[in-house]
Parts: sequence; structure tokens; C-alpha cells
Amino acid sequence: MAAIPSERPIRLVVRGDELGRSRLTTFFRLLLALPVLVWLFLRGIAAFVVGFVNWLAVLIQGEVPDSLHDFVAAYVRYAAQVSAYVFLAADPYPWFRVQADYPVDVEIDPPARQSRWTGFFRLLLALPALLLAASLGGGLGGGSSGTSGSTQGGEEYWAASWGLSAGGVASVAALLAWFFIVALGRAPRGIRDLVRYAIGYSAQALGYLLLLSGRYPTSDPALAEPYSELPRHPVRMVVADDLGRSRLTVLFRLLLAIPHFVWFALWSIAVVLAALAAWLVALARGRVPSGLHGFLGAYVRYAVHLQAYVFVVGRRFPGFTGRPGYGIDVELDPPVPQRRLVTLFRLLLALPALLLAGALWGALFVAGFLGWWYALVRGRMPEGLRNLGAISIRYGEQTSAYLLLLTDRYPYAAPVLQGRPEPAAAPPPVLGDAF
Amino acid sequence: MLLVAALAVAAILLYPTAVPDGLALPSVDADSTFGADLVARAERYERFHYVNWVLAQVVLLATLFLYARKGAAFTRESAAGPVGTGMLLGMLGLAIVWLVGLPFRVASLWWQRRHGLEDVGYLDWLVGDWAVLGAEFASICIALLIVMGLARRLGERWWLPGAAVFVAIGALFTFGTPYLDFTTDPLEDEALLAAGRQYERELGLSELPLRVEEVSDDTEQANAYATGIGPSRRVVLWDTMLLQPFTEAEGKVVLAHELAHHSQEHLPKGIGWFALFAIPGAWILMRATRGRGGMGAPEAVPLALLVVAVLQLAAAPATNAISRRMEAEADWKALQVTRDPTSLEGLMVGFSDTSLGDPDPPGWVALMLGTHPTLADRVAMARAWAERNQP
Repeated sequence: MAAIPSERPIRLVVRGDELGRSRLTTFFRLLLALPVLVWLFLRGIAAFVVGFVNWLAVLIQGEVPDSLHDFVAAYVRYAAQVSAYVFLAADPYPWFRVQADYPVDVEIDPPARQSRWTGFFRLLLALPALLLAASLGGGLGGGSSGTSGSTQGGEEYWAASWGLSAGGVASVAALLAWFFIVALGRAPRGIRDLVRYAIGYSAQALGYLLLLSGRYPTSDPALAEPYSELPRHPVRMVVADDLGRSRLTVLFRLLLAIPHFVWFALWSIAVVLAALAAWLVALARGRVPSGLHGFLGAYVRYAVHLQAYVFVVGRRFPGFTGRPGYGIDVELDPPVPQRRLVTLFRLLLALPALLLAGALWGALFVAGFLGWWYALVRGRMPEGLRNLGAISIRYGEQTSAYLLLLTDRYPYAAPVLQGRPEPAAAPPPVLGDAF
Repeated sequence: MLLVAALAVAAILLYPTAVPDGLALPSVDADSTFGADLVARAERYERFHYVNWVLAQVVLLATLFLYARKGAAFTRESAAGPVGTGMLLGMLGLAIVWLVGLPFRVASLWWQRRHGLEDVGYLDWLVGDWAVLGAEFASICIALLIVMGLARRLGERWWLPGAAVFVAIGALFTFGTPYLDFTTDPLEDEALLAAGRQYERELGLSELPLRVEEVSDDTEQANAYATGIGPSRRVVLWDTMLLQPFTEAEGKVVLAHELAHHSQEHLPKGIGWFALFAIPGAWILMRATRGRGGMGAPEAVPLALLVVAVLQLAAAPATNAISRRMEAEADWKALQVTRDPTSLEGLMVGFSDTSLGDPDPPGWVALMLGTHPTLADRVAMARAWAERNQP
């Protein structure tokens, strides 16, 4: 892993949040949050003014004064707490000041010396991290950054920044969680953890922008390991690739994938027919025949290989048959009996997962785009981006596997790369925690 | 031996044209025909392209030589099987060639823009160039899929069926390309249409689609082409051909020239000639890649790219000579149906003016790059026809 999470100067802290949620406050969550959002916005203006002073301080003395650092740090923490409340990752009302015992919080190290060069170009350097934070959509502070930008680019920039933030992974996850909580009175664990991860990354990006730290944000899902875990799932990601990349194959990556695009399109046509047959058989016999399972499984595996290659998550040119052994791969359990009711409504049940997979695909796209530039210059892929790409692909392929009847286990959204080795004891739920 | 004899017989059958044997072309004074100023400008303009082309070829061959030596190392970038890895190496080879050729193509564009012959912007051009590379990637993947698939199944005997498959693909491509054309419109000029129908009757052709391609937003240069075989045959004129400085009579000559390509079966003959080159070419490729495990092994692909590039360059004088013969025949037939050598001569002057084509380029240029007779030779043919057919 890229870094031990506790070593990060800005890190998310989770304090034993239970999954239970009040249906009433959840139903009216956005309305209830309005006062704190307004307050966050006002604090954001002040924080960005102080951030500018921080910038001057780093340029002059290479370090941010303690008092200014604490002021901005409090803002970043408050933004994380409000985000957690709005995105349903926490239940207590955040009120109008930072709460020391809030279930989702951010720890920020005291000020340390920073490079004047990276300080000078901080706004420019922070752009990739802000772009990724926008795709993850976990930070309401991003909206405030637009307030600062409005002096340069006007309201359009603010709207664009807010729009990016609202359209990200956390927003979609929160939308799904909202329905779930209103129905069942508790948050889905995987989605809650995914939102927390997004909030943690956004806090890092915001802290970096405002010069709380000179350490670049990392999107490594290892950050989520202290508070999240991945139960055993019939579709598991295996990452055995190295991070080195040939610049030439990176430069022409999309064009090199052309034969794969053609092959994938042709294979997809056959898969639609095979999935229909599998659906009918599974309805009649309660399980998918091994032959069809193998065919559909190879397709899902191939899709993983292809996505990994296109988005620079994988290093090597993949094969065309979906055979196991690629650096970014999935393990698929053999066919088992499936519940007929779940099979009957599979397409309908898959819709929420497809929505979230789409949002994660956006994050994968951004990670791939940023990773492409990085790998082109440095000849290697940043581990954080690679692993973020891998978990995005994993969720997408769990969704595909669910849709294509390879399993009736719902995709699991927790942002953790490797699952627990031991099998799950409890029977898998239809939706429930399966998110 | 039997095959060589068959190829020789085929070449003898394909070689004759309608241009009378022993037709002596009169000498043409380029300065007086095209104007000394235009000739000087065209020479200056073309000299840049000649140097650019030579440098590009040197860099291309040097690059492919290096790639042939070192390219096999890219196999470690592939998790695919031998054919997939071969595709990757083939595409990477093209990518490198594209990269090293980029400065020369940019230089060429800059030179054309500087002389007002191209209006397309650098960014648009680059996007288009990138798209062309994508199409080349797809093509080389198909080619390698065929060659490597056959080589892995048939061993060293792949070359004959391999060449046959490529000829078949070439024929299919020639036949099918017109049906993929969504960028042309029917010719609406009444006079040209009437003339075209008359020429078709005189040339023994059925009524063919006559179409116009709009290019005048991007270029000042004029062109036309015949495309398709059998039922897919058609003639396309660039819209620049219908604008000044070309006259209606000159447009008719162009139309007759393109129709003559169809009446003389130049496109099917072109496929025949392609077969005559493809068969020995495939054999040479088989022999050359033997040391790398043959074309079934991905490690042979970088070397194969070099061999193909060298073969193309080596065959250029012969293929260009064949092309020039066909073009000369089309000119001759056009003169026979239009009976207008003056317009053909004017057309050549117009071509030189709009495209800054050198009327009388150096011999090596005609040898290596001349797919058409030189403008001076085409004027000479018009005069030779006039001498024979007009009092």
C-alpha cells in the first residue's frame, strides 16, 4: 500500500458510528441541513481568505502560523462533518461548530514546513486532486472553493464546482442510502463506508489546497481499511500487477485497445443472448448451467481486463478470451443455486447498483485520465489512483455479474480492495448490507 | 517455377494499354507552356516536399530498423496470446512510425498552408491524423490476425493463401468502399452530366453515378477519382474541380478521364497487379522472418514491418510505372471521346497553378513518387493526339 493511513497529515477518523438512522431526520435531511450549509458557506469564505494568507506565509517563511492553520483546519473538519451529515454517513446534527466527538471527523497534524515551490503553485497542483474529489463528490467544501473562484470566474465556476460535487459518487451513494434508510431505518454499511472514504479524500484535497499540509492527497482505498471491510463475495478483485508503465503503450493506450473494443462489442451481442437464456434456465431450474456460467464469467473477466487496460489500471495488453491471470483480475465462484424471486426481478433489482456503478465509472474515468498523464511523465502509475480504479472496476463487475446471473449476491460498495479470506457465515441478503 | 511463369503471363496480359505502341511524345517546353514564373514557383514549392519526403523515408527506415532489433522486448507488455501480442507489436510499430513521421507531416502541412494550398488548422489536422492512425491500427490488426493465424496453422506455407486472402480483401475493399461513402452529392451541373452520359456511351459503359465531394473549405487543390468495381462503380469530382480557374471544357476532360479508368477496367487490373506483387512479397516476408520463428511468432512482427516498408519502397518504381501507364491510357481515351486536346493542356496548366505541381520534376521523383505522368508529359500526349487526329 502507498502509505499507512495514520501517517497521513490529514486523515479521516471514524468513531464507532452505528448504522441506525432516524427515518424522520433522514427524510428531511437536506432541509434540516440548510442552516449548517449556509454557515459552512460563510465559514468557507473566511477560510479561503485565510487560505490566501497561508499561501503568502508559505511563500515568505515556508510555514503556516499556528493560529491560521487551526482556523482553516477547523473549517476542513467542519466541512467533513457537515458532509457526513448531508450524505447520510453520520446521523447526529453537526450544529454550528466543530464537534470533538462527531462520528465522522478529520484529524489534521500541526503545521510543518512546506516547500515554497509547491506552495507557490499550490492552486495549479491541487487541480487534479480537486477534479478527483469532485468525481468522488464527498466534500461540500468544494462548493466553498467555488466561492473563492467566483472572484476569478464568476458564478459559472461556483455552479460547475457544486454540480461536479453533487454529481459524484458520494451524492449517488447518498441518494441510494436515503431510500434505504427511509425504508429500513438503517444505513447500508458498504455505501456508508464509500461515502466516508469520499469525504476523507475531499478533506485531504481541501486541506492541501488551503496549505494545511504539503503532502499530496492519496486516493488509496487503504485509507478506508481502519473503518471498513469487505465481506467475502462470489466476485472478488485480484490485484497482482506492478505499477510500472511503458510510456509508449500509455501514450497510445486508447488506440491500442481498438481491437479489444471491436471484440468486446461482438462478444457483448452474444452475451445478451446468453444472459437471456441463463435467465430463463435459472428461473426454471434455480441455477445457471456451468457452460453458460463459464461463458458469461469469461466475459465479465474480459471486461475487467479491458477496463483495467484502457484506464491504465492494468499494465499489460490483455488477452481476448477472458482467461484468468491478468494483473487486474476477478475471481468468480462456481455456479450455485439462486433464488428464483431474485432472478425474476434481477434487472429491476440491479438498477440501484447500476446507478452507483455509473458514478464509480466517472471516478474511474477521472482516475484513468490523471493516471494517464502521470504515467506518461513518470513511467509508473500512482498506487492510490490504481487502487481507486481497481475498486471502481470491481464494483462495476460485481454489478455485471449480478446482472448476468453469475451470482445473486448484491454488489458491495465498500471502498476496500481485498476482502476477508474466510467465507461469510450468515446467508447473503437480497439488498440490505449487500451494498 | 510454375508460379513464376503464371505471374509472368499475368503481367504480360495486364501490361498492354490503348495508347498506340511507339507513340512518340513531342518535347514540351515547360516555361513557355506553363509560364516561367509558375514553373519557378512550382519547383521551389515541390523541392521542399522532395527533401521532406527523402528525410521522412530515411527516418522511417532507421526507426523500423531499430524497432526490428529492439521491438520484441515489448512482448512483456502483453498478457495476450501470440496473435494478440503480435497485434500489439504491430500497432506499437505503427505508433512509433506515426510519432517519428509527425514532424515531417507537420512540416508538409505548414508548407502547404504557407502557399495557400491548405486551409485546415493544425489541431483539426492532428485530430484527423490521429483518426487515420486508429484506422491503420484496426487494419494492421486484421492483417496480422490473418497472417499469424495462417502461419500458426500452416507453418511456412502460409504465404500463398495469405497473399490470396489479402487480394480478396483488396477486391472486397475496392468493391465496398463506394457504399461507405456518405460525403458526396450527385453531380448537378447539367452540361457536365450530359457530357458524362455521352462519354459513357462512347466508352461502352452503362450509366454510372457521377458525384461531387465538397472539399473547397479545406483545400484549393483539384482532384477527381474513379472508385468501385462492377455494380459499385462511380466517379467523384472534388468541388474545386468545378470552380475557377477550371473551365467547363476542362471539367469534361476530367470526367472523361475518370470514366476511362472504368472503361479500361483499371480498378480490377489494379487488383490483378496487387496480386502479382503480393504473392512474391508474402514469400519474401516468410523467408525474411524465418530467423525470428516465422510469422506465427509475435517476435517476428517488428522485423516484418521493416520488411514490408523496404518492399514497398523497392517496389515503388514498378508500381508507379504501372500506375503511370494506366493514367496515360485514361488520358488517351479521354482525348478520344472529348476530342479536345486544348482543354487537356489547359487542365494541366490549371493543375500546376492550383496545386503548384512541378510540370517537369527530376527523374528520381517521377520514379519514386510519380503515380501519374508528369504534367509536361500529359501536355505532350495531348499534342501527340492532336498531331495524329487533327488536320
